[in-house]
Amino acid sequence: MSQATNNKIFSNLWMVVVYLFLYLPILTLVVYSFNDSKLISTWTHASLRWYEALIKDDDLISAVLLSLKIAGISALMSVFFGTFTAFALNRYKRFKGRTLLSSMASMPLVMPDVIVGLSLLLMIISVQHWLGFPDKGLFTILLGHALLGTAYATVVVTSRLREMDGRLDEAAMDLGCKPWQVFHLVTFPLLLPALVSAFLLTFTLSFDDVVLSSFLSGPGYSTMPMVIFSRARLGLNPTINAVATVTIVVVTCAVIASSFYTSHQARKRKREEAQAYSDSNK
Amino acid sequence: MATAPKEINQPAPEVLLRVENVTKIYDGTVKAVDDVSLTVNKGEIFALLGGSGCGKSTLLRMMAGFETPTKGKIHLAGQDITNLPPYQRPINMMFQSYALFPHLSVWENIAFGLKRDGMPKGQIAERVEKMLNLAQLGKFAQRKPHQLSGGQQQRVALVRSLAKRPQLLLLDEPLGALDKKLRETTQLELVNIIEEVGVTCVLVTHDQEEAMTMASRIAVMSEGYFLQVGEPDTVYEMPNSRKVADFIGNVNIFDGVIEEDEADHVTVRCPECVHYVGHGVSGHTGMEVGVALRPEKIMLSDKKPKGEYNWCQGEVIEIVYFGAHTTYHLKLDSGKVIKAQELNNTRDLSCGLTWGDRAYAHWNDLAMVVLAQ
Ligand SMILES: Nc1ncnc2c1ncn2[C@@H]1O[C@H](COP(=O)(O)OP(=O)(O)OP(=O)(O)O)[C@@H](O)[C@H]1O
Ligand SMILES: [Mg+2]
Repeated sequence: MSQATNNKIFSNLWMVVVYLFLYLPILTLVVYSFNDSKLISTWTHASLRWYEALIKDDDLISAVLLSLKIAGISALMSVFFGTFTAFALNRYKRFKGRTLLSSMASMPLVMPDVIVGLSLLLMIISVQHWLGFPDKGLFTILLGHALLGTAYATVVVTSRLREMDGRLDEAAMDLGCKPWQVFHLVTFPLLLPALVSAFLLTFTLSFDDVVLSSFLSGPGYSTMPMVIFSRARLGLNPTINAVATVTIVVVTCAVIASSFYTSHQARKRKREEAQAYSDSNK
Repeated sequence: MATAPKEINQPAPEVLLRVENVTKIYDGTVKAVDDVSLTVNKGEIFALLGGSGCGKSTLLRMMAGFETPTKGKIHLAGQDITNLPPYQRPINMMFQSYALFPHLSVWENIAFGLKRDGMPKGQIAERVEKMLNLAQLGKFAQRKPHQLSGGQQQRVALVRSLAKRPQLLLLDEPLGALDKKLRETTQLELVNIIEEVGVTCVLVTHDQEEAMTMASRIAVMSEGYFLQVGEPDTVYEMPNSRKVADFIGNVNIFDGVIEEDEADHVTVRCPECVHYVGHGVSGHTGMEVGVALRPEKIMLSDKKPKGEYNWCQGEVIEIVYFGAHTTYHLKLDSGKVIKAQELNNTRDLSCGLTWGDRAYAHWNDLAMVVLAQ
């Protein structure tokens, strides 16, 4: 056998191994969510038993709803604050404390979640001690998630702002836009894709966060990852498999749809550019 | 072309833009524009010409309202606009990078400024249609900017800035993004469109040919101030300083001393030769001057010219063939190298000189300009 075929076989084999490593656990989880047995590692026969249990599991359902709610609100907050930070850093080149802001804005990205969570907890406790609020619960979780999310949103929006031509703002003003019209008519529409991806990113971050939430939540406010985590410690219940499978299906569909959309846009753009080129050479 | 034929008894031109002693200092240290004054007349195409970083764009951006002068005033049609924001000035600008809105179609780009003015819909459509025809872009109205070629984008940018019928049009390196061949055709197209609309225009460029073909007057800038302002032929044929002579086209400069200073001629003694200049200059005997001589005004031959003035001798060390003309580099006995440009008006190389030949360069007594040191 030649060297080349050898290499090819090896690289294919390697690919299979990596894929198995990445996706076998997920696949196992999906398969076992249809297992009838109460024992998580013994296959008996297929059934939808755990999905039925899931529907009846009010705790888990309300945890999922709470997680969705937190993720939605905190993602909105993150995008909002992140956009402002990105604007401050990009459009206003010189102001007091700019360097400080730019390094602090990305700090939560590198700081371990445990430390962020712990320090937030300490802060909230002392604020509560002095002022009597906030109580640990929905508000404090939102605060933590928005803090982390703002850092990510800042990065996403900043990179888009950087590649946007600053002259566009000037052109708009030159053509008669007042500053707020510039934002409304030019900057915002061009920024929209970045805002959407910042939203999706921070939504996901919040949705699967367990560390910050554990530090910051109070009684009655358990998010989905917290519930799964605590149940896992008591011995896994296949209902978890069911809820995980549902999540995976939803996420996968979203990812596939969005990548289809982007590649479709890219192809369309390429076609149009090629057409412009051939037109101009006529 | 751009320069109108001069008429006797021309009415005094109406001044549209007046820049008075404008200075711009960035960050308290960088003096980008240094006490510049200028007037632009109605209907004129005025070019700001200068090397990189000489403050052309800064001056233009102050006219547009994107920068405020540190000192000085800007008046448009008699009104002080120094502190007016860009959106309140009847001035539009075409950007070097075009700055077309990528999310809007060609049609919407052109209509953008008109909508901001609250123009009725019917009128907008009519005006946009007119602009599209002007730029021959009718069939591209619904395209997005990225679906257009460079030249087409350039035309969209131009008519977008013309759509509001500004009193003054500013162009920052309007052809900077086009390749050389396209530039030449586009220059004339641009001038035609501007003249058809009849708008007054200030143009920034670092390309002297572009300034010469397009503008009716040129200001040559260096380090934030004006070296010379004048019509293209004046600036080319009668530069007022070495820097201008050097910047506009090619030039040979001989250093020398005025030997004879008469009302109808002067002679300048240089180490290489003696110049006999057939007109008087403002100077005095013994003054050190530079004599600027354009390469295309030098003739080459292998025979010794008559007389004792206006020729020198040297060795051909380089021949650069340009198609329409050839440039010879002549190393004079003093070691100085001069350039002479000969038209290739026959098919064999014009004067039969090759590398290493000794040749005589001569010129007539009105070919040069005497520059004070
Ligand atoms: N926003 C700014 N802040 C500080 N300095 C600036 C700024 N804009 C320009 N300058 C400086 O002012 C000087 C003039 O700049 P300007 O952009 O007007 O030059 P220019 O003649 O347009 O050059 P080019 O042909 O390269 O565009 C330069 O030295 C430049 O570094
Ligand atoms: Mg410039």
